[in-house]
Amino acid sequence: MRGQMRIVALRLALLAVGLVLLLTARPMPGQAPVARRPSTTNEFPPYKAPRATDGHADLNGIWQAMVTADIDVQDHDAQAGPHSDVMGAYGAWPGGQGIVEGGEIPYRPEALARKKENAEKRMVVHMTNDPSRHDTGDPELKCFRPGVPRANYMPFPFQIVQGRDSVVIVYEFANALRTIYMDDKKEAPADSWMGWSTGRWDGDTLVVNTTGFVPYTWFDRAGDFHSDALHVVERYTPVSPYHIMYEATIEDPNVFTRPWKVRFPLYRRMEKNIQLMDFNCVEFVEGMMYDKYRKPASQ
Amino acid sequence: MLSLVLALPRFASAQVSPAPATKTHTVSKGWTAPRTPDGQPDLQGYWTNLSFTPLERPAEYGNREFLTEEESAKLFKQGIQHSYEFTYDNPAGTPVYDATTFGLGAWQNGVKPNKRTSLIVDPPDGRIPPLTPEAQKAKASRVVKTRVESPEDLTLGVRCLTFGRPPLLPAAYNSNYYIVQIPGYVMIEAEWNSEARMIPLDGRPHLSGNIHRWHGDSRGHWEGDTLVVETTNFKPGATPMNANPATLRILERFKRVDADTIEYKFTIDDPSTWTRPWTAIIPMNRAEGPLFEYACSEGNNDLINMLEAGRAGEKPGGQGKQ
Repeated sequence: MRGQMRIVALRLALLAVGLVLLLTARPMPGQAPVARRPSTTNEFPPYKAPRATDGHADLNGIWQAMVTADIDVQDHDAQAGPHSDVMGAYGAWPGGQGIVEGGEIPYRPEALARKKENAEKRMVVHMTNDPSRHDTGDPELKCFRPGVPRANYMPFPFQIVQGRDSVVIVYEFANALRTIYMDDKKEAPADSWMGWSTGRWDGDTLVVNTTGFVPYTWFDRAGDFHSDALHVVERYTPVSPYHIMYEATIEDPNVFTRPWKVRFPLYRRMEKNIQLMDFNCVEFVEGMMYDKYRKPASQ
Repeated sequence: MLSLVLALPRFASAQVSPAPATKTHTVSKGWTAPRTPDGQPDLQGYWTNLSFTPLERPAEYGNREFLTEEESAKLFKQGIQHSYEFTYDNPAGTPVYDATTFGLGAWQNGVKPNKRTSLIVDPPDGRIPPLTPEAQKAKASRVVKTRVESPEDLTLGVRCLTFGRPPLLPAAYNSNYYIVQIPGYVMIEAEWNSEARMIPLDGRPHLSGNIHRWHGDSRGHWEGDTLVVETTNFKPGATPMNANPATLRILERFKRVDADTIEYKFTIDDPSTWTRPWTAIIPMNRAEGPLFEYACSEGNNDLINMLEAGRAGEKPGGQGKQ
């Protein structure tokens, strides 16, 4: 018995030594270098996209983000989610690395206090027949339009329609949509949830300038917010047949001390016959929003 | 100029009966629809289908499909006058619509005369055909509440769930559309409720019967210069006029007949609901853009007001508002 164990121990030691040598292999002088695994940073080899019918890089297709930024654009742990006593793992929210360049959103001190208050009250629903309905709670919870750039990192696909005079983006979430006017540079005629967008090409990058926002959208469920001075500049760059690298610069002097940026890839949905489904969440929130106005059962 | 003929497979048109021959707008001599870069007849731009023409033909016209020039001019003038009066009867400060500020009146929104006596052109009497016995029974058993007790008592539109397309019927206001075409798709955005329909042209099959959509699911193909769109997969409870989602098929045809007009024709075919299919023609006239965002549910004051009125009516001594 003891002898056999010594043989096993010897073999294990040899194996360990072999592994150490393998993992720390260095080329001897005169040998070719050991192949290194490619870096996992978001770098793509140079790519030239095919042309769309407007002569520019073709961004048409159905796209979706894979980040969890809708929960929190900054770094966040997984968490239980609301009503975990009933929802269990169904309702739990995944963790994720943030998409904010530099890690933190540069809030003005008084605005940071408001963000924290937003987060605490994100699930408060107070429906009134006037704009004070927007003072509290995450608009996503009520199936309101997500605004920009949040619509691009919701966990739902969207379709880019690159037409002659405009690029339209149709979102599965709440059938939200935005039109990026390519030929007409006039100012926003009215404020809206999805903003007023004009676009131009910078080489193969679609650059979109959006203003004219209502102040009611949030950037995520963590209470990150803006005022009606919000100005977003987006860059959509095709980096492979299956990826667009997306970047958005967010500027709002009422809320932030300087502009800040988010960046993440968009992935082309490759399923055969892929199309947008309906996510008409108005149906799913009606009870939550209007039950207090419903005729009580006792009457 | 490239003259690509779009050679898509002819889409198998199953049970929808073809629209019977009806006098349609003939293309002006010498005019052809321009093409998109990928060869589709160009339907792009902003359009409105607003008119004063009723869906069903008033009985006095009998089987007459067209108005005389005099009748058409008179009806149009009356329509403009009523629309104008509506605007100035509802200035800023009225509780319903501020028509003077928001330009809701038809007279401000590019309404054009329509020479037809009704939008419906078939059956020949211009009226919706009779209901089947099955549909009559279903109608009789539907409860009509006199007081609003819950959101479900209100229409899908008031609840901001859907505004009932297809078909593209004229809306009281915001009856504007934006059409964008790219290779493989036609997108039709309707301003009223900011609804966008994506219509694939690539010959893919319809979705299985297990998926149901608020606006059904559409598939399109070109027949010459006409875009033919077939829609199935309707969501129960969200069909036009309570049609049966299991048997309903809607066929739409879009044809650009001159620089400023698309002839839009739709056929509703549901053998469980109507004794025969019925067809309407609605001209879409060139309009001025842009379309505005219609954020319905984000500001649905109506729903709250109506529910509150219902509760007030139930209180002792309440107004009894309905």
